[in-house]
Amino acid sequence: MEAMSIGEDLLDQRRRRRRAGDPRLSPAGRELFARMTSGDLAEEFQASLDDIVVADPLLGGHTVDDDA
Amino acid sequence: MVVIDEYLAVRVLGGSWPKGLPDDELVLPASRHWRLLQRVHAPGGGQLSQLLAALPGGDLDVVRHPHPEVLQVLDPRPLLDDAAAIAAHYGAGGLLIAETLAAGLAQGRQLWFGSERNVGRALSRIADDLGIAVHVVT
Repeated sequence: MEAMSIGEDLLDQRRRRRRAGDPRLSPAGRELFARMTSGDLAEEFQASLDDIVVADPLLGGHTVDDDA
Repeated sequence: MVVIDEYLAVRVLGGSWPKGLPDDELVLPASRHWRLLQRVHAPGGGQLSQLLAALPGGDLDVVRHPHPEVLQVLDPRPLLDDAAAIAAHYGAGGLLIAETLAAGLAQGRQLWFGSERNVGRALSRIADDLGIAVHVVT
């Protein structure tokens, strides 16, 4: 078996940290984030994203009436 | 770098890596980070807002200041001119769509979403015209 080079080893460590998520997040936070994106709260999450676009003309775009 | 949406950002911050998402550094357009921050700083009255408010103290810092090894927020400045050009050409005036498309164009002509609904018809149509592949992984 070939030994992993130092470069490959560092990249693998980085990859593992990336895939593990943010280490500051509590178990309750992890559970809620999963519910928001693929569970029972996903509909409400999408609605909140949509609401923000509607309420913010810069984000969602609007018609500029130069004569107003 | 892989440009992702709010769904995938929240998922990977929570340690749930979607099957099919490329194993590369992930970036979130600034306008999409702004949308998440709006929900953090100006919560509504729904169940989700109540649950977010009840999380332990530092949990929302994960969204406010994402760990750079997990998720980076794209600097919007180098993208603004392309975004304005896209908005003007297609009549898609919103920064959210225009900046996302500019980011996708600059980062390998691909965009990754965690929900079909979050793509939207306008973005889908313009991405197709610009040759940007839109992927949805759930």
